[in-house]
Amino acid sequence: MNRVTTTELAVEVRGLDKTFRTGWPRRRSQPALRGVSFVVPRGAIFGVLGPNGAGKTTLLSILATLLLPDRGAARVLGLDVIRDAHRVRERINLSSGSASFLWSLTPSEILDIAARSYGLGAGVRRPRVAGLLEQFELAAHAAVPYNELSTGLKQRLALAKAFVNDPELLILDEPTVGLDPDISVRIREQIAALRRSRRMTILLSTHYMREAEQLCDEVVFLRQGQILAGGEPGTLKREVLLGDRVEFVMEGDAWRSLAELPGVLACTSTAGRVRVVVDDARKRLPELFRHLDERGILVSDVTVTEPTLESVFIELAR
Amino acid sequence: MATPARLEWSGDASLRRELVKVSAFFLRNWRMTHRNVFTVFEIVFWPIVNLLSVGLLITFLKAEPGTVVFVLVGTFALSTVQVCQLDVAYAALFDMWSKSIKHQLVAPIQPWHLVLGSWLMGVLRGTAVFTLQAAVSHWAFGVSVLAHGPAPAAALLVGLLVSAAGVGLLVSTLLMLFGLRAEVSAWSGVSLVLLVCGVYYPVSVLPAPLQVVAAAVPLTHFLEAFRAHLGYAPVFTAPLLRGYGLAVLYVAGGYALFAWAIHRARRTGMLLRLSD
Repeated sequence: MNRVTTTELAVEVRGLDKTFRTGWPRRRSQPALRGVSFVVPRGAIFGVLGPNGAGKTTLLSILATLLLPDRGAARVLGLDVIRDAHRVRERINLSSGSASFLWSLTPSEILDIAARSYGLGAGVRRPRVAGLLEQFELAAHAAVPYNELSTGLKQRLALAKAFVNDPELLILDEPTVGLDPDISVRIREQIAALRRSRRMTILLSTHYMREAEQLCDEVVFLRQGQILAGGEPGTLKREVLLGDRVEFVMEGDAWRSLAELPGVLACTSTAGRVRVVVDDARKRLPELFRHLDERGILVSDVTVTEPTLESVFIELAR
Repeated sequence: MATPARLEWSGDASLRRELVKVSAFFLRNWRMTHRNVFTVFEIVFWPIVNLLSVGLLITFLKAEPGTVVFVLVGTFALSTVQVCQLDVAYAALFDMWSKSIKHQLVAPIQPWHLVLGSWLMGVLRGTAVFTLQAAVSHWAFGVSVLAHGPAPAAALLVGLLVSAAGVGLLVSTLLMLFGLRAEVSAWSGVSLVLLVCGVYYPVSVLPAPLQVVAAAVPLTHFLEAFRAHLGYAPVFTAPLLRGYGLAVLYVAGGYALFAWAIHRARRTGMLLRLSD
């Protein structure tokens, strides 16, 4: 991953282990994280990806100081999440897709109480709450009890609440889970806008690969508490040999020679459709055409498909 | 949606900042209470129904005026502690009911912010219950808690409110350890002391082993201290001193347990389970 100095790191995780033990008198052990290590540079949007039960929430909860690890070390903004937990809490905030607040309180009151719990005096608190209501388009619903808000408004309120202390690190745990597509799009736009306008580090967990692809600078894939792979989405696709796919419709078996060209990772043919996997379609396509042209092969159709993080995940999960 | 502008972090740790944090939990309980119609039952309905039924029973039994005061003061005490400790328990219960506890505890607060803010609301509600019951008993049964001056009544009330903090902390600890399975303790915790602390009868009628238990309950001593002004000799010496000493001890112990329970919940994952 990135070569950065410790001071440039927003998050540094080394060999994190966590096992949940439940039940009495017969204890059951459920390993949730096993030797997880990664770093997040400041200002990045970092995705923690994986299926349900992969350990994403456990990992983010440890970084948010809500959960203590069994082994390993985690530093957030240079502070130890166990020893300096209180100072970490002052500088981070958390929003989750499953957020919930007291049913009778209004968005205005929820934000006011959240701001008070960070010790913000009236002079800072009032304009901040008013600003957040405005900025997250909640002002019109400021006096509506929480349990009467729509799901989308609840989600926006959860996001707004995460800004009451102007955090340096924002932890978003499945921020769009269970939302309608249009609301999910708006939440993603909001996250992207935050990234553009502020030097804020965002740690995002999701099992929507499209969301991660759209937002994240770097990702790690988590499965059964272990990191399967990590890096920039583009690099990752190449690393797991999931290059761009180019499909030609042509006749004859001259396609076999395509496999020898530089940048070609794989080459197969079925019923006149030749599928070529290349490391970078934009770079290799002219050469592929030149090669076919030199051999007088007539191509009647061509399709280029870029791999998605989803396909990376499926590949990794095999 | 527009992008939030960067806002400046306000600053240094100070007493004022700590008080603002405490105010968060006072206001939270205030607003929840304010909107909840069942609060009227907690503050008005049950205490008054309890007071009237006990008062009418002892009137029917043709008890002496001193005995009427004796028993009714026990009723005041129980209702006041119950309502006040409930507010302290609400510090944990509201977050558990709404599954928002992790969003609460991700903020830089200490357990004492949570407890003190909630207890202050309990002080308001407990005082309201005590005052209301005193007024109703004066009107219905001609009994005045101020008959021997305001000091004994004030000492009793303060003692009850401090005791309630201890009970509330123990209930909150159970909630943090066992989740909503321990919810019943919020409603029935006070009833456990009903038998031993001489709410409706003098501690002297209890068997000797139970008197030992009674001696460990602050409420016993606060009631004894007040009843001493009515001419009932206390079983234990220096009841007020003992009562306050024990109450403070329970608050300190309860706080340590509550703080430990939160730490344990962070270790076991209970905090996350309570937010799911």
